Amino acid sequence: MFSKKKKNVTTNEFNQIVEGTSLTKEAWKRLKKNKMAILGLIVVIIYALIAICADMFPLYPYDEVVTEHQHLKPSFSKTSGELMLEKKMQDLYYNAWKQGRLVVGEENDAMIKNWIANDKTNKVWSYLLEAGEAQRAAGAFEWSKSDLSAIEKVEDKIQNDVMVTINGLYKNVNGKNTNLKKLNYNEIADIYASMLGLDRAVLDTSVEKELKMALVNEIKSKDSEISTEDATAQAEIDFANFSEKDFETKAKANVYGKIETQVKRDALKTVKANLKENPSQTFPYEEHQELSYGISADILATKTHDRRYYLGTDYLGRDMLSRIVYGSRVSIGIGLVGTITSILIGILVGSLAGYIGGRVDYYLMRFVDVMYGLPYMLLVIIMMAIFDRSIINLFIALALISWLTIARMVRGQIMSLKNQEYVEAARSMGASTARIITRHMIPNSLSIIIVYSTIRIPNFIMQESFLSFLGLGVQAPYASWGSLIGDAVSSMTLYPWKLIYPSLTMVIFLFAMNFLGDGLRDAFDPQSKNQL
Amino acid sequence: MADEKKVILKVKDLYQHFPISNGGIFKKQIGAIRAVDGISFDVYEGEILGIVGESGCGKSTTIRSIAQLHKPTGGEVIFNDVDLCKADNRTLLKERRQIQMIFQDPYSSLDPRMTVANIIAEPLEIYNARGLLDHKWTKEEIDNRVEELMDKVGINIAFKNRYPHEFSGGQKQRVGIARALALNPKIILADEPVSALDVSIQAQVLNLIQDLQQELGITFLFIAHDLAVIQHISDRVVVMYLGKIMEISEANELYKNPCHPYTEALLSAAPVPDPEIEKTRKRIVLEGDVPSPDKERFGCYFYDRCPKKMEYCKNHIPPMFDISENHKCACWHYDKEDHSKEA
Repeated sequence: MFSKKKKNVTTNEFNQIVEGTSLTKEAWKRLKKNKMAILGLIVVIIYALIAICADMFPLYPYDEVVTEHQHLKPSFSKTSGELMLEKKMQDLYYNAWKQGRLVVGEENDAMIKNWIANDKTNKVWSYLLEAGEAQRAAGAFEWSKSDLSAIEKVEDKIQNDVMVTINGLYKNVNGKNTNLKKLNYNEIADIYASMLGLDRAVLDTSVEKELKMALVNEIKSKDSEISTEDATAQAEIDFANFSEKDFETKAKANVYGKIETQVKRDALKTVKANLKENPSQTFPYEEHQELSYGISADILATKTHDRRYYLGTDYLGRDMLSRIVYGSRVSIGIGLVGTITSILIGILVGSLAGYIGGRVDYYLMRFVDVMYGLPYMLLVIIMMAIFDRSIINLFIALALISWLTIARMVRGQIMSLKNQEYVEAARSMGASTARIITRHMIPNSLSIIIVYSTIRIPNFIMQESFLSFLGLGVQAPYASWGSLIGDAVSSMTLYPWKLIYPSLTMVIFLFAMNFLGDGLRDAFDPQSKNQL
Repeated sequence: MADEKKVILKVKDLYQHFPISNGGIFKKQIGAIRAVDGISFDVYEGEILGIVGESGCGKSTTIRSIAQLHKPTGGEVIFNDVDLCKADNRTLLKERRQIQMIFQDPYSSLDPRMTVANIIAEPLEIYNARGLLDHKWTKEEIDNRVEELMDKVGINIAFKNRYPHEFSGGQKQRVGIARALALNPKIILADEPVSALDVSIQAQVLNLIQDLQQELGITFLFIAHDLAVIQHISDRVVVMYLGKIMEISEANELYKNPCHPYTEALLSAAPVPDPEIEKTRKRIVLEGDVPSPDKERFGCYFYDRCPKKMEYCKNHIPPMFDISENHKCACWHYDKEDHSKEA
């Protein structure tokens, strides 16, 4: 079925070959007429593309988080600096109102108090900011001295905070730049030693020590009950077992990171000095900096508070947009991988049970029945609690339990197909069991499987979200739609954007998937009574 | 006719019983459906042997047992000096290449997800992949063979990439015939190949089968409900009832001179296409239904419904008595001794 057909080329009007329309082709034709299903398909494709190409978008990565940007609200027009200032001013106006310096009239006082009593803090802040700004413009209100200095501090920060990203480190050898990543450990260590004015031997021992510490930490994180002594001893053994290559790569990464931090610090100093000399410098800019000790670097200098957060930030100052995009990667991935594994297991078990029948069928199906009897979510939760809470384990736990329905469905389908005459015909021609299953039975039950799996994917995403919501699913720093929503629920009234955007993303995807699934079912089964 | 002809397939004491289990966990067998209960006949090379009988009399099972789709419970099916029932898989495949089947329902006997060309090529591909053809066929050779076959059964080659659902019933049955012809078989087992088609198409397909039989000299085992069809197409006829053969005869002889009471009843059930004769014709109406085939029988299988039954028939299974040279009948009335007084 999957082999490519040779195109029949017509040479004259007598040997024209009529192209047949297969059942799949006809189903596709019907699907194309279903507008909602096509809309769903397009949405799903867009989501998939965004999730796959997430690294290509200019999103703010997790490791360059600005901790001062906590809980900034989503805005298209304002930079994070402006939002920070606004937040500070809201705070100051609130204090001023509390101290009685900002007078808004008795009626409004009562209103504000009512808001506070009802936990509507956001309304208080925006109202006071508006009132305060109006009064200040009219000259009825003036900042106190301490207020002014606080505002000035923030403004100064906005003006002067810069960030430096290192895009590449080079060693200058005879006027030629070689990337440091291409050098080996020995050469890099020499450079670092000369940078710090250290002896090589001292550096080597310190690197060794750090590698061992890293090993100890790794062992401890795997087994929380191990004592420090045991872990250290184990680390010593592991370290002794390191191959030359292992040591080389690890030590190199270690020293490279150190050099990078050092260079970053130096570059930041230069950029800051430049900014002081020339305050009108435009940001961001890229530069190739020559540094001392024979190293040069490609750097990108950005103003820290020029960032824009279109969907706001969370409690650590992480950009919600990038959290959602990377989260969709995890969520859709779990949906896909879970469905594919469960389909593979389901097809295997179902077709064996259905085709062979008899005792094999009996025992397989009783096993399925027993598994059905166990509470599904509880089982996943227990599995996640016993094993590590990693994404892989989540995949396995969900897939191991969700193949049951598919297996039953495939079994039923195969049992009805087994008695079809074309299967008997194939048997009378001497076709092997494998050939009958792969060439006749699976292609003929594929439509049902496809339909079921499109309906299954949203189900998986919901389950993953549910687990993540409970804190059993994806662990930080990874995010999924469910964990984002779970994080946001506690501070829903104060920072609604943390809840709204992930939920919206998820709901749109689930709707699209469901429409697509319904459309596919109608397309593959034109006689279905369930049509819209 | 039979004397000069060579026996190509010999069926000897063929039994096909299907177990009935009690439905419990251990599947204890509590009985058996005796679908085919000890039948023997010879098939001569180049003839069309018709098999008739009412529904459930074991016609299809006989054919499926010969094709080894069900492993027979007992007996022998001898083809080319090989007993197919006891042959191992490889020999079976090799010999069965010469025995192909045409199925009853053209709608369900073709895989809806394969093109017609693929369907016809399937037996070739299977035997090619197992290395049982004379040499390793290339894709082109198979393609050419498929086109040749489509031409032979009268399907436009232009339609070879079409799917079964784009064809009419008659065309589909032609595809089924082409598939059966693909391996150049000596025998084709046709399981009611025309009963799912309407009458005008039936005639076309029957004529096609006759033409092919004359052209290629293939032996046919042909099942049909329709007595007229059998009369039209077959050289000899086997009449079956309840898994047993009642009568074997040359076709014209059988229609002129039916011996067995069951055959008489069967033939009288067929309408005559002449209203004058039809009005005055006397029909033999059998009483009761076909009994369930799950009991072992010790007398004549037709005893329960026979209008001419004798006490003797109840406890004695009749052998095949020769009526004439090519006419045999399993009825005690045709024994040389008279059993009417015996018990």
